[in-house]
Amino acid sequence: MNRKWLRWLPAVAVPAVIAAGALAGSLPASAGDPLPPKTPEQVLQLIAQHREPALSGTLEQSSELGLPGLPKSAAGSDSSSNAWLELLTGPHTARVYRDGPDNARIQVMDRLAERNAIRHGNEVWFYNSKDNTASHVQLPTDAAGRPQHDSARDVTATPDQLAAMLLAKIEPGTEVKVGADVQVAGRAAYNLVLTPKSDATLVGSIAVAVDGQTGLPLGVEVTARGQSDPAFRVAYTSLTLGAPDASVFAFSPPPGATVEELPVPEHKHANDAGKATAPAAKDGARKPAVTGSGWDSVVEFPAGTTAPASDATALLEQATVPVQGGRLLSTALVNVLVLDDGRVVVGSVPVERLQAAAAQK
Amino acid sequence: MLCALAAIPVLISVAVRVSSAVPPGRGPAFLDRIAQNGLFVGVTALVVSVPLFLPLTVGVVAGDTIAGEAGQGTLRYLLVAPAGRIRLLIVKYAGTALFVVVAPLVVALTGAGIGSALFPVGPVTLLSGDTIGPGEAVVRLLLIAAYLAVSLLGLSAIGLFISTLTDVPVGAMAATVVLSVVAQVLDALPQLEWLHPWLFSHYWLDFGDLLRQPVSWDSFAVNALLQGGYIAFFGALAYGRFITKDVLS
Repeated sequence: MNRKWLRWLPAVAVPAVIAAGALAGSLPASAGDPLPPKTPEQVLQLIAQHREPALSGTLEQSSELGLPGLPKSAAGSDSSSNAWLELLTGPHTARVYRDGPDNARIQVMDRLAERNAIRHGNEVWFYNSKDNTASHVQLPTDAAGRPQHDSARDVTATPDQLAAMLLAKIEPGTEVKVGADVQVAGRAAYNLVLTPKSDATLVGSIAVAVDGQTGLPLGVEVTARGQSDPAFRVAYTSLTLGAPDASVFAFSPPPGATVEELPVPEHKHANDAGKATAPAAKDGARKPAVTGSGWDSVVEFPAGTTAPASDATALLEQATVPVQGGRLLSTALVNVLVLDDGRVVVGSVPVERLQAAAAQK
Repeated sequence: MLCALAAIPVLISVAVRVSSAVPPGRGPAFLDRIAQNGLFVGVTALVVSVPLFLPLTVGVVAGDTIAGEAGQGTLRYLLVAPAGRIRLLIVKYAGTALFVVVAPLVVALTGAGIGSALFPVGPVTLLSGDTIGPGEAVVRLLLIAAYLAVSLLGLSAIGLFISTLTDVPVGAMAATVVLSVVAQVLDALPQLEWLHPWLFSHYWLDFGDLLRQPVSWDSFAVNALLQGGYIAFFGALAYGRFITKDVLS
């Protein structure tokens, strides 16, 4: 009998070894050489001095915003607003290629599908494999006419763009400090932690991982107040510095694809007769009103500025809950209050403050 | 069984051929591309057969390995020969592995063959929007078949283990197939997100990564590692069970 149990020994040993290996693999790798200590100002300088790099890497984004998860089949394929919403819910993996300011490609990798945004010089292409459609934008050739927010990067923002946006918000109301070093994509990085001093905001803290060597922001984590897991996270999982293969940026629409020419996003000439959309609606008297300052600020859009697309209305009905005076879209980081009179009040504050701000007008 | 698998691409291509144009974004992935390029029949057939048909056939083959011999009463004669139980187990698993390699290959190649017979063949559009020539597309198709072969090795190891537990081959087959379905159901539940990377079926449909430009090898590597773990785990269990099993009485 004893002999029989001895023979089971290898059968028990192998699973044990596998379990041990899996456990060891899941532990975070210990940091290699510690980075020289730096003050927040020095880390900010490190970010500021980094140049548009040539890189290729893989980004991973995950959101725990408390939004209802959209069914995968419904999102992405039908309307662009749904596809945009779908990026905010659930995890995503994207590959990023950049070579200087004029060459960029982002591939959002879905299961058995892919969304692409490619910029090569002045040509910008969007391609969605799910419905085999391509869109093309020809940017103006003069450098001055280049839109500030390059639409090629709007699909999934890379960490450095997000960091620049967030760091611009640094002001007296924020406590900035450098936390313990972190490992992102196998690289040692400074961890710049921004904590709002105000108690009224929903944002608990924002952590930006800054590569210790190049100053390239490697990841952004936004944590809601009172939560331990980040509500929104974008970080590289792998990163290779150096110019990617030039053929990556070359794109021509595949045969059989539906190609659509998009108008050039003009910011200067808002008097285009054909476009009565966002740019025209934003200027002049219908400007959104901001109350409060810093982290507690509440933005109020007057009625009519944000007419939701017809197919998005049903989605909005599902995602919002009725509250006093309107409907509330509540996420971990931002609350949106759609009032019954059509006004929309947005703020990273609890709903009571939104209602108070709405009542003032 | 291989003929049944080969019937899937034939059915798909005939159905697309006789019906009107498929609107993009409906039905299984790549279905709308078939009419433009016959090589997509192979890919579509693989997409269709991954959730059920391939695991079903693998479950039948793997579940039959030991339990089939035991059920027919031939197992004791095999073990009378001075070959050793370990060797028998390895040979049985090698036979299953051979089927696992051949099955997706049959689906892919039959699909490509019937597709190129019924539809035009031209440059293939990848998920990234880039196009490659038909020759490279066939290479990608073979890579996908290899990916699926690797993916199913874990399931066949599970089937081998279950097969050592019982003398009823049908029970072992059914248990293996049910396990693969259960794993896919668990994979679809967002509440069990922590479990998903450990399910042997989690990366099955990620063979789309081989249709990107440039090819993303990450899922291939992580899938191979996972399946290797399953093979080692259930191979060891099958060894322990089979070596101590009372066959001769």
